[in-house]
Amino acid sequence: MSNEDMAVHHHAHHFANADDEFEAAKQGMWIFLVTEVLMFGGLFVAYGIFRGLYPEMFHEAHQYLAVKMGAVNTVVLITSSLTMALSVSSTQKGRKSQAILFLILTFILASCFLVVKYFEYTHKFHDGLLPGGFFHNTELTTPKAPLFFSLYFLMTGLHGVHVLIGMGLIAWMVKRSLKNEFSPQFYTPVELVGFYWHFVDLVWIYLFPLLYLVG
Amino acid sequence: MGPETQKQHHHILPTKVALGIGGALLGLTAITVGVAHIDLGKFNFFIAMLVATVKAFLVAMFFMGLKYDRRENGVIFVTSLLFLAIFIVLTSTDLFFRGDVYVKGPLFATNSSQSKLKKPWLGTPELVKKGKELFSVQCTSCHGVNGEGDGPAASALNPRPRNFHSIDGWKNGRRATMIFKTLKEGIPGSAMAAYSTLPADDRWALAHFVLSLHPEAPKEDTAADFVKIGINPAQEGGGEAAVPTISIAMAMKRMASAADEQTHLYHPEFDRVSELKLNGALESRGARLYQESCVRCHGAQGQGQIKVQSLGVHPVAFVTIQSFQNQSESLKSEEAFSKKVVQGLPGSLMPGRGDLGTSDLHDLYQFVRSLAGR
Repeated sequence: MSNEDMAVHHHAHHFANADDEFEAAKQGMWIFLVTEVLMFGGLFVAYGIFRGLYPEMFHEAHQYLAVKMGAVNTVVLITSSLTMALSVSSTQKGRKSQAILFLILTFILASCFLVVKYFEYTHKFHDGLLPGGFFHNTELTTPKAPLFFSLYFLMTGLHGVHVLIGMGLIAWMVKRSLKNEFSPQFYTPVELVGFYWHFVDLVWIYLFPLLYLVG
Repeated sequence: MGPETQKQHHHILPTKVALGIGGALLGLTAITVGVAHIDLGKFNFFIAMLVATVKAFLVAMFFMGLKYDRRENGVIFVTSLLFLAIFIVLTSTDLFFRGDVYVKGPLFATNSSQSKLKKPWLGTPELVKKGKELFSVQCTSCHGVNGEGDGPAASALNPRPRNFHSIDGWKNGRRATMIFKTLKEGIPGSAMAAYSTLPADDRWALAHFVLSLHPEAPKEDTAADFVKIGINPAQEGGGEAAVPTISIAMAMKRMASAADEQTHLYHPEFDRVSELKLNGALESRGARLYQESCVRCHGAQGQGQIKVQSLGVHPVAFVTIQSFQNQSESLKSEEAFSKKVVQGLPGSLMPGRGDLGTSDLHDLYQFVRSLAGR
């Protein structure tokens, strides 16, 4: 049933053919991403409301974020999106080792993102720039400033969790690629993990300017 | 069944396009960071969002392949963005364009409803008739259909509602002005709420109806009575002085800040607390207890007399905080005082403090007595 290079994928019995299965899986992923949009949406609305209520506070507080680190992370994440896209197209073309290389590159870039985030977070912890009641920075005295850091940690935190999950998924794809599970005929999981990863990038594309730049 | 293969029409993103998009995204990032360093006022925000949206568009169209995907997937995704937009737009229009519902107008709410009658404190058959109608709507649940103090709710009340057919026991006096006062302010410590939201004419009408229930004519209103209710009988309609009231939340805030800052808001020349402080007397346990538990409502000098709009009672009730500077019932004996402190005053803002022990109560009593100047 299988040749030496590529495993052959059997589509599930409730689909007429592999193509239907692929389209259904993809649509399922899109619908999942819709729920993700709405989950982050709530936080974006909260951000909008409080920014509208306390524009000066946001302006003061956002200056305490490290724009350079945020910018570096933006570059890192965009590059990782590119390597992810290249990994998908390599799988589609049957170039297994190239696909795995791009997956590993994506994984490394994702780790870089989290390392930068780690340094950002520890710096904030050290300065007492913490959410709500934990806030104990003495320099930033603008009223309600802790609110900004509640939003900062909630939004980047939820995004960070997504990055972690994405890394797990990418590692899983590497493992499955090594086992020859994917081929130009069957690459659905890699494509869908790609969707997830691009979505993580998409969220950051908005988070970065909203938190670090315009404040 | 043999192995199935996916048809070969799936779009493969050309490497050149992928690199081009990646480059464009990095370029746009550089632009957005660069622009953020120039102060363009409100435009900074719009430019940043525009650039972010262009980036998001590129990612979705090319990296996520919406451009080559079936149209329904695009519709699904764009619909979610549409709902997000509705979420954002409706929430912000509600919040930012509704007007301020929390603090509107002056800090103090005033009841400015003036009497339209020339001398409403003099009863007329028309007023009594009108009062009877109002009574059947506003008062019967407690005072009973005939005003005998036997309404359906009466059995649950202590003190019991007034029986208007009896000539005795009128707390504020059996005179039109005094009933008007009761309707305006309520009776603190009882279930009688303030009906200051009723127009002045309605309150006068109710007063006259209630007085008509007993055959004996009411006593004449004295000049002092008119002063008490802020009415000038020489003026048409009386020119009822508006009583400023503030919400309970506002009152607590103001009292707390007054107590915290030890500002001499009330009677600076008689500021007993600073006097006591100088004498070292504030170090006493009673003074400390007072500072912890009582000062916020009763004031630094025990002056009390602060009107607070009580919550949870409908219609609005006004509670006047007890002043310790006058000789009051509750200070007559330590026993009576302790009972009040421990049990609180149901229906008022005075909470029970069952956590205080006998020695606490003793010290507190001594301190409060010193405030009362006895």
